[in-house]
Amino acid sequence: MKLIVLAPEDDNHTAPIKWALEKAGHRVVCWAGLSWTKEGQASLLMDKDDTLVLGGHSVDPGDVVWVRRPELPLPNPNTSEADKKFASMEYRSFYHSIAYLLETLPVWCINRYSAARVIIQKAVQLRLARQCGLKTPATLMSNTPAAVRDFLARQGSRNICKGFTPHVWQKEGQRSVAITETFEIASEQLPTDEILTYAPAIYQEMVRKEFDVRMVLMGEKIYSYALTNTKKALDWRQDAGFGHVKADIIDTPPEVAKGVLAFARQSGICFGSLDFGVDAQGQWWFLEINEQGQFLWIDQFNRSARLLEKFCAFVTAPEGSTAPLEARENLFPSLEEYEDLLKREQVPPTARGRADDPFLSMEA
Amino acid sequence: MDQDNRVLSRKGARELTAQEVESVTGALIIRHTLSPCFIDKHQQLLNGDQNIGECGG
Repeated sequence: MKLIVLAPEDDNHTAPIKWALEKAGHRVVCWAGLSWTKEGQASLLMDKDDTLVLGGHSVDPGDVVWVRRPELPLPNPNTSEADKKFASMEYRSFYHSIAYLLETLPVWCINRYSAARVIIQKAVQLRLARQCGLKTPATLMSNTPAAVRDFLARQGSRNICKGFTPHVWQKEGQRSVAITETFEIASEQLPTDEILTYAPAIYQEMVRKEFDVRMVLMGEKIYSYALTNTKKALDWRQDAGFGHVKADIIDTPPEVAKGVLAFARQSGICFGSLDFGVDAQGQWWFLEINEQGQFLWIDQFNRSARLLEKFCAFVTAPEGSTAPLEARENLFPSLEEYEDLLKREQVPPTARGRADDPFLSMEA
Repeated sequence: MDQDNRVLSRKGARELTAQEVESVTGALIIRHTLSPCFIDKHQQLLNGDQNIGECGG
């Protein structure tokens, strides 16, 4: 068995996990995604025995495929201008064939591509979470001005607004930026109807949070961390970047755990990072799930979390195993050890730049 | 930001000064390349939870 990671080797989660698994004697290969380069090429032979080769690595029965963060398909830039649009579509179609085919092979996909594609949709997440017994705040997703105004005008309500995707605006030639985050909004703060049609948004009943919870799902195992933001900001993410957030291990209420496992079963995912808000009554409100969300940062905020070791134990256990990951986490080195090597430049740096970032816009 | 034709999410976005960006991305590169949010010194992009590697529709 080997682990095939669909991500660049220097992806910030791939690199330490590959290092830890290899240190424990496991085989790990990376495929950054479909591209024209030798490392990015792929071949799928459909014959008596179907054979899939990704960047020179064959996909074999019993392999584990972690669909971490493959890059977008990249056609050869030397392709004739007249053919570029066609080539681009062909690359995209071939990539989809590979991604969907993987889940039909005798390999374990974390997560299955079809499940990931569906569950990344925020509307699907909220509906399924509610159906699985989790509490969800009233939510409107809309670009219809009248609907937005009606939603915010509900008697006694306080509401927030957030985007479907994160985004950064950077001023031309400057280092200052603006970053999307959840913000409170009241009827009287709404702009003109015209502006509400510029971009759809998510309007949601505000959860009066005492604290946030980041939960990491690994198969049947659930690990929850209470995030206390000393700045008491509505959105803890940016404050985490400034070190204003504390992450404490917290027990998951049984009814929440039951709902999350039902959610996982029905959505077909076995791994993901979930966000909850916990109110003064101790009720956990489901906010969202990112099926390939960041999770190693929790190890940095709380060394006893040991999520790197748990993830390594998870991906090297048989698919569907219910054995405690803690029983095998000692087989793997810690993120702290990796960070120490990184500081001393004994492992390659992570996070290389990308030429075309869909989450970044320049503004005057 | 003084334009009145910007999307609502831009109006509600959190502004970070150059110093704040530097304080996040400068001394603590290792921490913040793993962060659930956000800007990275090398990438200057969101390095966060959402992944669009799904390759479009």
